[in-house]
Amino acid sequence: MVVSLDLITGILSFLFTLLVFSYLIGDNPLFRIAVYIFVGVSSGYIAAVAWWQVIWPRLVYPLVFGSMLEKGLMLVPLLGAVLIFMKISPRLAGMSRIAMAFMVGVGAAVTIAGAVAGTLIPQVMGTINAFDLTLASSRNVNLIETLFNGAFVLAGTIFTLTYFHFGARPKADGSMHRMGLIELSAWVGRIFIGITLGAVFAGVYAAALTAFIERIVSLINFIGNFL
Amino acid sequence: MRIFTAVVAIAAGILILGGYFFPAFEGMQALLLNWAVILAGAAALVGIFNLVSVHTDKIRRQEKGSVYSALLLISLVATFLFAMILRPNHATMKIVLSGIIIPVEASLMGLLTISLLYAAVRLLRRRADLTSIIFLVTAALLILGSATLPFGNMPVLGTFVGPWITQVLALGGARGILIGVALGTLTTGLRVLFGADRPYGGN
Repeated sequence: MVVSLDLITGILSFLFTLLVFSYLIGDNPLFRIAVYIFVGVSSGYIAAVAWWQVIWPRLVYPLVFGSMLEKGLMLVPLLGAVLIFMKISPRLAGMSRIAMAFMVGVGAAVTIAGAVAGTLIPQVMGTINAFDLTLASSRNVNLIETLFNGAFVLAGTIFTLTYFHFGARPKADGSMHRMGLIELSAWVGRIFIGITLGAVFAGVYAAALTAFIERIVSLINFIGNFL
Repeated sequence: MRIFTAVVAIAAGILILGGYFFPAFEGMQALLLNWAVILAGAAALVGIFNLVSVHTDKIRRQEKGSVYSALLLISLVATFLFAMILRPNHATMKIVLSGIIIPVEASLMGLLTISLLYAAVRLLRRRADLTSIIFLVTAALLILGSATLPFGNMPVLGTFVGPWITQVLALGGARGILIGVALGTLTTGLRVLFGADRPYGGN
């Protein structure tokens, strides 16, 4: 008898969904079995992906089949990879610092560029563009509405940023207090943060609810196939 | 060693940053990024090896829950061997993805429905201050506003209040949070590049 891959996938999917949903009656061995197998399977899969999609094509293949220049250039990451593997041994773990330092340096530079080009400039420009009357009129949006909404967005941005200002001077009695104006702005900022986190919560809840309904429907459909 | 590691980190960072500003550095930037990707792949393998060694130790010491560790190791080794032989994109490997990984992830996400509701109720019980109330009222309004009724969106709540909260009030707060996070990231990155912070070891 030939068992189709779809049937195996369906049975596994059904079983693991049930095992995870068993958590609704409390933490239990069935839930733990599902989670431990999930961690094991994911780790094994990630390890194979790391080999086949990173180490093999970017390091091993050029080292074995590349030109002399490519082979020479790949000696550095090969040495780095060997140093990172030294982390496995407690005696040699210190040697991996060089490779870790390289990765931290690269990571820091990439995050600086990402923070400036990917977040700071677009967000500041977005706040400025909220007052763009030409853009608003081209979209047939009321000018007063544009200014009103833009003012709220600007206020929200500034007050929320003020909330993260932690500069404070000690008073004579030793207590720490922010300046009155900053304290007031931070208080308004808290309201904006509350609204923002509430919106994020609503979005995550909607996504979770969608996943929950999709899983329930898949369970019903699987049982329905055998009735 | 301390100075050498700092020099490596700073030099790598400056060369990568240079690639964003000077076209002459672009080739070097691409090369260094490729090296970093390879090292990240190697670091992922070391991380998984560490997971294996921790659970092997648990089994060897016959600690509580070692049965689960054995299950983890068996599933890890089996998946790794099959994926190494067949390659991750093979049709048989899709069973692992579509039969185990995606359903478990989706089910865990589904469990959040209950956990988040429980957390919201607990928040109101434990800290019923202004911020908590605003947080929960906003969430409730937006969830109710997004509910689809047979005749369309919820009147007022779904057509005016909900969009105004998300597109104006929450947008302002989100911008403030994002700019704050970006400024923090920028500062941390610069501290690493100046050698003030050395998270790779070496004080």
